[in-house]
Amino acid sequence: MKIYAIYVVHNNIKPAKAIVDAKDLTSFGFFQRSSIGEFMTFMAQTIAEKTQPGQRQSIEESNYVGHVYARAEGVAGVVITDKEYPPRVAFSLLNKILDEFTTRFPNNQLWTPEQCSYPELQQYIVTYQDPKQGDTIMKVQRELDETKIILHKTIESVLERGEKMESLVERSDVLSSQSKMFYKTAKKQNACCIIC
Amino acid sequence: MDRSSEFFSTVESLRSRAQPHLPSDKRRLLSPMEQQAGSLGAGGAQNKPKSEVSLMATMIGKDIHATSKKLEKLARLAKRKTLFDDRPVEISELMHIIKLDIAKLNKQIAQLQSVVKELNAKSPHNCRQAMEHNCNVVVLLQSRLAAQTSTFKDVLELRTENMKATKDRREQFMFTAQQQSNTFASDSPLYNIDRRPNSSTNPPKDILSLDLPTPSQNLQQQEQVQLVDANNQYMESRSTAIESIESTLHELGGIFQQLAQMVSEQRDMVQRIDANTDDIESNVTGAQTELLKYYSYVSSNRWLMVKVFAVIISSAVTLSVLS
Repeated sequence: MKIYAIYVVHNNIKPAKAIVDAKDLTSFGFFQRSSIGEFMTFMAQTIAEKTQPGQRQSIEESNYVGHVYARAEGVAGVVITDKEYPPRVAFSLLNKILDEFTTRFPNNQLWTPEQCSYPELQQYIVTYQDPKQGDTIMKVQRELDETKIILHKTIESVLERGEKMESLVERSDVLSSQSKMFYKTAKKQNACCIIC
Repeated sequence: MDRSSEFFSTVESLRSRAQPHLPSDKRRLLSPMEQQAGSLGAGGAQNKPKSEVSLMATMIGKDIHATSKKLEKLARLAKRKTLFDDRPVEISELMHIIKLDIAKLNKQIAQLQSVVKELNAKSPHNCRQAMEHNCNVVVLLQSRLAAQTSTFKDVLELRTENMKATKDRREQFMFTAQQQSNTFASDSPLYNIDRRPNSSTNPPKDILSLDLPTPSQNLQQQEQVQLVDANNQYMESRSTAIESIESTLHELGGIFQQLAQMVSEQRDMVQRIDANTDDIESNVTGAQTELLKYYSYVSSNRWLMVKVFAVIISSAVTLSVLS
């Protein structure tokens, strides 16, 4: 599952215009990249226009899915992924990006590609390529699963320890009785017939 | 299968075929009927509303028949339990259509009922049988519609159950750590807030609700529900993920407890081993002491033995000397 592009689109104006974007088109052939990139930009702008503020949508188109979340301030974030990418992770990524964007550039006038620079988007694409790495919830879940595996192994080793303990108990019992016999014999030998 | 609608239509066709001038009579009687109220003869008053009523009833019967066919198809589709060949688009479209049909049928039956009531209020009391017949027809149609809506509701429930089952089976193959434990009652506000707007448990991209589809729903309401649904799906998926984390944590707690219990069971064994080794130690040291004593006895004893032997030999010698 992959993310292909992230866009922040100004959707208060018609037609909607992309403010910042980050793309990862390495999975396509070199000559197709520019056309695919343009297609994605167009798609992002179109679906951002059609989304009401405060609304989330996931729109499917050939092999891409666009997840869009529109904020009340007039910006919308669009993440274009393939079909397998979990939409929940995409929406939490959108939440994060839009929060950062609106705190950094709260002024509407600043929303032009030249004045807004948001280089972290490219970084986000890289980290979120594997949703289990990027998303907090999935990270936590993964760590918990690892812990569970470790605990399972621990329990198995404790079971082995139990078995070894059992054998130790038996052997110490046997030893104890043998040493007792030894003591008795020695004592007997000491007390018995002096003459013979 | 109820075929009274066909019966109605055959009767109409036969009647029109046998007496071709009668429809024109009915039409002629129509306009005076509209102008005056009940001043026509009983026959005329009877003919026109009965034909209108029976016409409407026929139409409604036909619609009910068509809807029941669609319902059958939907039920067949919903019964399929295959993991991959499911066709949610078709099913949701069909459901939508059936909902609309039921709403339309309800309206038509309501209309028919009002017409019948009007007619009964207007007509004289000597066509009592006709009144009763009309009422019965309306009641019959309503009961058939009610039966259909209940079948529709059953099919919807079956569909949600099957979807839940397929979702579970799919998750079994993909996410083995996920388990849903409903015994873990949490008071977190996330649970309460997210459970309220959702009355259904569906995979995303499906518009389903378990409430009996009341025929009075508009299209607009359904659209709004669709829009809100996308948000709800997101919230729902988040809450599912967090639920799974909670359940994993719960399991982890259980595993830790088990671990502690096993270790505490082994503590007894350790104590036994400890006691045993202490016994062994004491026994062996005791035995060693004895042996030492014996050894000292024996080593010192040799000298005594020599003396004893010497005494014995000397006594034996003296005895032999004496004898």
